[in-house]
Amino acid sequence: MAETVTPDLLPAVAPTQEQQDKPESDLEPGFLVICWNDPVNFMDYVTHVFQVVFGWPKKKAEFHMLQVHEQGKSVLARESMEKAEHYVHQLQKYHLHATMERDD
Amino acid sequence: MGRRERDLFLELLPLYPRTPAAHRKLSKSSILPDAEAAQKLLDDALAEQRDQNRQLLEQLMLDLARFQVQPTGLKLVLSEADTEWLLQVLNDIRVGSWVLLGSPEDPHTVEQLTEETVPNLWAMEMSGYFQMHLLKALTGD
Repeated sequence: MAETVTPDLLPAVAPTQEQQDKPESDLEPGFLVICWNDPVNFMDYVTHVFQVVFGWPKKKAEFHMLQVHEQGKSVLARESMEKAEHYVHQLQKYHLHATMERDD
Repeated sequence: MGRRERDLFLELLPLYPRTPAAHRKLSKSSILPDAEAAQKLLDDALAEQRDQNRQLLEQLMLDLARFQVQPTGLKLVLSEADTEWLLQVLNDIRVGSWVLLGSPEDPHTVEQLTEETVPNLWAMEMSGYFQMHLLKALTGD
């Protein structure tokens, strides 16, 4: 059932001592995972994919799906480069129009 | 599903993969660190997934016992994992057919019905039809 999907396992990345010593502004910048609207993917399908990829409950997945549909895009997550890449790969495997952008 | 639906389903699946390999970009801005390598990583991951899905699809199409006869018609037996990759396969056919139609803003408004566009329109609509059935089976809605 879609409601009981297991979130994707991600590698736990603990900050190194060097990273911990740096001020926050010097740490790796965040990357936004963005899903863009397209006229071909069904709304139910997009909701389902968000649930599977992020492990979100249906309500949250529907919220972001509607944001994509009505506003043209939705920021789904802000992550490290590695995790953002992982999510974009997963979303694109389902053929959603997802990209990652640097959060300046 | 009925026998005719099963036949249409089995006619549709060999169209996979249909979406052009270079269809997707990792980023719109291309200001990622090491953007070229990151894009290659995505292309490789999608290529690997395509090969894997193609193999699974070949197995599925040979395994007709998955279509179990029921009093109301045929029941396609799939695990949850099977359903997920099959959704990916069907959406690849749907999106790829849409791209071949020229990526129309309204997929239902194809300007000209020709020998070239009709098969793409058929594939786009049929893959959407089976996609919705799979989703319905998953969610029980």
